[in-house]
Amino acid sequence: MSKITSSSTAEYFAKNLQQVGFSSPAKAVLTTLKEAVDNSLDACEENGILPDINIEIHKMGPGASRNTDLVQIIVEDNGPGLEPDDLAKVFGEYLASSKFGRGRCSRGQQGIGISAATTWAQLTNASGVRVTSKTKNMRKALSATIDVDIKSNRGVVKNKETVDWDRPNGIRVEFRIDGRVVLNGDGGLLTYLEGTTLVNPHMSIRYKLVDLDAQVIPRVSSVVPDIPSATLPHPHTMKLGEFMTHAGLYGKITLENFLKKGFSRISDATLKELTAKGVPKSMYGKALSAITESDYKKVYQALHEVDLVAPSTRSVLTVGEEGLSKSIQRLGEVDFFSVVTRKPRICDFKPVVVEVAIARFKDRVAESSDGPVQLLRFANRVPLQFDKGACAITRSVESVNWRAYGLNQPKDSLPLGPFVFAVSVTSPFIKFKNASKETIDGSDDLVEEIRRSLMQAGQKMARHIRAEDKAADLERKIQHIEKFGPILVQGLARITGAAKSREKLAEEGLKKLLGRDASSAEAELEHANSKLSQLKAQERKRFGGEDEDESVVEVEDADAAKPGAKSSRTEKTVPPRKKK
Amino acid sequence: MAKIRIRELTKDIPKEARLLCEQMLSDLEKAKRPVLEAVKCSLDNSFYNSKVGYLTAGDKVVRTELNVSSVQKMARTIFMLEILLGNLKSGAVNTKREYYYISKGLVRSNPHYRPLDFDDQPESDAIIDFIGDMLEVYREEMNCFANDRGGQTYSKNLVVTETLADGSIATVDVGSLGTTPFQPKNKPQQFRLKPKKGKIDFCLIIESEGTANTLVNNGMHLRHNCIIIGAQGVPSNGVRGWCKTIQDQLKVPMYFYGDLDAYTLQNIFRTLKAGSAASLIRNSDFSAPDVRFLGVLPEDVKKYDLLCYSVNERDVAEARSLKKAKDALENDPFFQDKKNKRLADILRWLVKEKKRCEQQAVFSLDPKDPQILEKVIVEKIKSGNFV
Repeated sequence: MSKITSSSTAEYFAKNLQQVGFSSPAKAVLTTLKEAVDNSLDACEENGILPDINIEIHKMGPGASRNTDLVQIIVEDNGPGLEPDDLAKVFGEYLASSKFGRGRCSRGQQGIGISAATTWAQLTNASGVRVTSKTKNMRKALSATIDVDIKSNRGVVKNKETVDWDRPNGIRVEFRIDGRVVLNGDGGLLTYLEGTTLVNPHMSIRYKLVDLDAQVIPRVSSVVPDIPSATLPHPHTMKLGEFMTHAGLYGKITLENFLKKGFSRISDATLKELTAKGVPKSMYGKALSAITESDYKKVYQALHEVDLVAPSTRSVLTVGEEGLSKSIQRLGEVDFFSVVTRKPRICDFKPVVVEVAIARFKDRVAESSDGPVQLLRFANRVPLQFDKGACAITRSVESVNWRAYGLNQPKDSLPLGPFVFAVSVTSPFIKFKNASKETIDGSDDLVEEIRRSLMQAGQKMARHIRAEDKAADLERKIQHIEKFGPILVQGLARITGAAKSREKLAEEGLKKLLGRDASSAEAELEHANSKLSQLKAQERKRFGGEDEDESVVEVEDADAAKPGAKSSRTEKTVPPRKKK
Repeated sequence: MAKIRIRELTKDIPKEARLLCEQMLSDLEKAKRPVLEAVKCSLDNSFYNSKVGYLTAGDKVVRTELNVSSVQKMARTIFMLEILLGNLKSGAVNTKREYYYISKGLVRSNPHYRPLDFDDQPESDAIIDFIGDMLEVYREEMNCFANDRGGQTYSKNLVVTETLADGSIATVDVGSLGTTPFQPKNKPQQFRLKPKKGKIDFCLIIESEGTANTLVNNGMHLRHNCIIIGAQGVPSNGVRGWCKTIQDQLKVPMYFYGDLDAYTLQNIFRTLKAGSAASLIRNSDFSAPDVRFLGVLPEDVKKYDLLCYSVNERDVAEARSLKKAKDALENDPFFQDKKNKRLADILRWLVKEKKRCEQQAVFSLDPKDPQILEKVIVEKIKSGNFV
């Protein structure tokens, strides 16, 4: 019989890095960047800092593996920095996280991602991550290389040195990995940066990707999102095993106290209802240690039979329509857009908020008018870039009848046109289909909620499209009159041998007739325009902007937010990027 | 060039056209919307009377009133009408394809016409058809002829006489052509037909041109006093007019032999016998109501144990054909008429059995006998086994 051995968490992930986003050289680069940026943004938000993120990606020659490059990925932030003692844990130890299971809307949740990136660097380039960290209390920054001790799942600090760093606090990470740099397309680095920019209006970012010019995108909001504090779990979201494990965290308190303090939405009235469902009153006073498994089961079953108030929605976070409106203009020159932030809802007893931004960009009209719309998906403000077809967001977009809003749409598919659809789902408990968090597993409730948000955004967008259609219709009608009218009359005059005077009279008559048609088209256009103006006025009122011509709100730093404007740095500002 | 007459047309086309244009011009002068009306050529405006024998048009019309959306169609109609009138005046004749290029040439030579340019031939064809339906004249009467297709004819006893444009007479002894067929043009009504001697026994129209050729190569037309015609699929106007001419002038029994499937029965046989809904105004001269359906009949399948194919409903074309057959039973006045009940029964059998049998299946009866099809056909005619 073969010997049974146990492995460390690090060993498991080192052998299964594909499960956490390192399944190809191209994905490895993207995932590494993503994990580093996620950590930076989370750290800044936790500490009320407006994030300044600086990214550099360079090719340094051929990689050790076949068909790869040695890629250097540098991410630098102005966050609080890490204490020297924490570096090994954060970058070199799996499941070491300040966020695990806290029920908050942070980007990172389990403490796997950045350690996996270190492992990938170690496996492909024989060296972990080079980290430079400085906290407010440190005079000099600490720079060190962190490796993962795969056998024991521990971080190992190497080549430690103190260095001068001209900033008060922050972290700089540098990975050198085997990978491949893909810029465009669904899984491209630019798509990731575009998405991250969109849902983080408070972030300012500078990036330099391989040979491309460096780009600077200034922030358009100076409000750091206030991440709501976690709420207690709702009993209806738990399975029996989880319920019992949860009890284990509360030690010797009574069942009554455990139920009231360990969960949300359980009150004295609930306990009475539980009693009515068969839980003996005497059990409430018992210490948890004295409760048997069958008692737990009885209480659990009774809890599920009782109607409880839905959990609080206060724990969810939104970017907000105003933030999205401003941020969307950082991606390029917007023709028109519509944004919707729904009120937080409960789907499957979990609070969730869906936000949608739909925009048409002037520079993308020519290049993608026949193809499907570009769909940007987000979960807790992190772009999801792979396995689009299996995602609840994609399912929701496909289930909407976009033809009703003026877009072409093949059956059960994404609509067509030069539009960007951005759909963001935020929840402290997002259910992903895999550990690499690439697709949201959607219940019917969630799909319906996303669908409603999309329809709301579609209605707003339709007003723009309708006004455009009516204008095009009028233009076509006027052109028809000018083009065909004279030919018709002249043909009739030639066949009948009519005199010039009759021809002229007939031409005037024709203009009169077709002019009536054009006037009715003009009236329709006027109606469509007035509807659109109403919408614009409503939005101006809500966001307090003064723009007369566009349904957009004024940005705080309008010049800086416009594509092509110069920032205080020397690099080019905002890259309305070209889609392939 | 002398005008070829298909029928005794009481209409003076140029005069009718001028009157129509005069009316339109006069309406425009009064700032009144001119209206063009054409016979609605569709199944919902088709009527069948077994005494008449072909599909005729009802009262429905396609009405085009001038507005911003229809001004292009009207301008194109008048543009094409002018071209057709020019040809009528000069006597020149063209095909639809040629008219398409003539219009393209005019547009190219005069930038003023550029908005009228046709993107492809179906666009100009539709305008020509609309003019025909509007004036209720055949397009051949407007000197527009389609491609000649099908109708290859073989007989040892048929003489065709044609009066040529210059008044001279051409006489063709079809029997003297050997295995070379006589090919009628799209204006078969101009021929005068007579048997070389006595009376011709029957005329056999075969769906497949290849199978007609096989019968001729095996000498059927020499052994029997008959006419054999290859229809080459859905009969063209030429084939339809030719069969009508044979029927009227020779008064011989006429039989059609083709596949046993919905497409053959509906699109080929019905068009040959009673015309089509798309050509309501011309069915009187382009259908041969006396033609009988010789086979393949469902009873032949049983009697001769013929090999059949199952209709594959996943095949788009076959599924569509089956659906059309169901629609025909519900909506086609030809199949709804009592006199054609047996033909409708065949359609019902096809819909129910979801089978099809090809005309060539008879060759499986005796693989060593090249004349097997001829024998079966003659036997069926003699025994009256047809519908």
